Amino acid sequence: MNAFEIILGTLLSGLRSATPLLQVLLGETVTERSGVANLGVEGQMLLGAFAGFAIAATTGSPWAGLLGGFVAGALLSAVHGALCLWTGANMFASGVAVWMLGGGLSAFFGIPFVGRKIDGFVPPDFGAAAHNPLLGPILRAATPGVLVGLCTWVACGLVLYRTRPGLRLRAVGESGESASTLGIRPSRVRWAAILVGGGLSGLGGASLSVDQVRNWIEWMTAGRGLVAVGLVIVARWNPWWALPSALLFGVVESLALRLQTLGVGISPYLLSTLPYLVCLAVLAWGSVRARARGAMPRDLAQVFSSTE
Amino acid sequence: MNILLRKRRELSERFRWFEGTLSVAAPALVFLLASSAFFALLGRDPLALIGQILNGAFGSTYGIVETLVKTIPILLCALATAVPARLGLLSVGASGQFYAGAWLGTGMVLVVGGSHLAMPAMFLAACAGGAIWALVPGFLRAQWEVNETLATLLLNYVASLLVDWAVYGPWRDTSNLGWPATISFPESVRLPVLVPGSRLHAGLLLAILLAVGLHILLSRSRWGLELRVLRSNRKLGEGVGMSWKAGAAATMAIGGAVAGLAGILETSCIHGRLQSGIALNYGLTGFLVAWMSGQHMLRIVPISLVMGALLSSGDALQLFAQLPEATAVVLQAILFCSVLATGGLLRRWRSP
Repeated sequence: MNAFEIILGTLLSGLRSATPLLQVLLGETVTERSGVANLGVEGQMLLGAFAGFAIAATTGSPWAGLLGGFVAGALLSAVHGALCLWTGANMFASGVAVWMLGGGLSAFFGIPFVGRKIDGFVPPDFGAAAHNPLLGPILRAATPGVLVGLCTWVACGLVLYRTRPGLRLRAVGESGESASTLGIRPSRVRWAAILVGGGLSGLGGASLSVDQVRNWIEWMTAGRGLVAVGLVIVARWNPWWALPSALLFGVVESLALRLQTLGVGISPYLLSTLPYLVCLAVLAWGSVRARARGAMPRDLAQVFSSTE
Repeated sequence: MNILLRKRRELSERFRWFEGTLSVAAPALVFLLASSAFFALLGRDPLALIGQILNGAFGSTYGIVETLVKTIPILLCALATAVPARLGLLSVGASGQFYAGAWLGTGMVLVVGGSHLAMPAMFLAACAGGAIWALVPGFLRAQWEVNETLATLLLNYVASLLVDWAVYGPWRDTSNLGWPATISFPESVRLPVLVPGSRLHAGLLLAILLAVGLHILLSRSRWGLELRVLRSNRKLGEGVGMSWKAGAAATMAIGGAVAGLAGILETSCIHGRLQSGIALNYGLTGFLVAWMSGQHMLRIVPISLVMGALLSSGDALQLFAQLPEATAVVLQAILFCSVLATGGLLRRWRSP
């Protein structure tokens, strides 16, 4: 194996393990761009992972699973929307409540599915291309889940920067008050942003359980949703930067796994701390930069600065 | 700039009393309705289940003792959240600090063993561990405005993995074969038991004393006043010579030390050894309790008791109603949502 193949292999397995995170990250970017922070993505991801797995296991269709994950995430995020936008609750506290709700409900209803296995997406037959040293690994890594993730990435970037709804969303995030003088209803835009963000985080959870690991374990997301909330800051609320940010986490995670299988004399538990520590480090770096450049949506900045 | 002139609403004594009752009764009512709806959707009889919850938590000596046992870590984790909140810092890191305290405290026990100084050394190490774990996000926030909520959350996972590493790796007691845990702690580092034959330990009294002490410190001392000033107006406070950064470091460290204490109490007095996953969801429950109390150190005590009852009745529900363990998490989440919803609506209604 030459160096190029190792790098390509690491990147590709990083992309695979980054895909769930990428979708959550994009969802949270959309939500935060409207001026709403949502820590509940962790719970939405869990509920999406459970719902997606349950649907894929009972219907046998991984596509139905992904769709079910999206719907479940969107439904749960409606709780966050109701708490923040209707009753005016603190966004961080409401996020924690949604996190508990998603984790609790998925663990509650997920018991019959613990230990079950599903087939996930069946890889198509690529013929001779599968044996090509360059094309083969790429084709094998590009599962439908990964492709959906990449399509979401492009779609989010285009919608946010090239379309009218995207412009409205960004306007509301900068200042709901000014946007409303232009005839935009901030609460409607924020509702839409919360639901889309919730759906995407549910989709991320489903692609974790249906496509990546193909089983369901309680609390299986292990903080990926919270990592995503941190990486939004690193990506400076720019959906195009979401892929490199998610990839960073994914590559570190798959490197940690690879080191374990290579039999490096470091405990797997210590290696598993790496993705979180790297995320914390880039979060610190990103926070300094975000402050220096003022990249944060202005209405969101108020949420972050006044924690009470 | 908008200037809004509004007549100040005079609060009569009776109105204030009414409002106080409402702020407790409204979330309780919403919670009862919502959790009943949840049980009814499952096809279970809500009234019977609520009866079982109450019976499980308070119906027997065993139930009461288990409720109090669970109250201890909840109470301490809630204090750990509420102290930084006095400066407006939103820490969700109690479970990480819990693990860090349990980890360092256990390390101390493994070093000093059964000497008569072992107990104070263990507590000291545990508090230091929790405090260090909390100081990292505190420093990041003070120095570079890194969001402390996210930093504490990320460190939770790191701390729990550190404990896993210790109990599966270097600190594992090979004599208990498949079970990943350290050696049993010597009797000398366990606090006395309050009810003979039970696992209810004197940590309960310690926790209540801490709540009272912190209440006095935060409401009566000059430092507590400084925190209030800095929280409501950081610029003003710093203008008259107070340091927000020092406040952030101190409140985070105190909170972390309290959570670390919870970790070592749970390790030494309940499990008798360090093992994986001992923090359960105490960190999140503590966050919920702190929020419900309005970050008030004394109000935290009774609310922790209620949450302890909810958690211990979760065990009873598992046993008698065949409901899964996660029921307790779902109920807590419903409670949190009820509190947030009614709290927000009441605030809106008060100042329209």
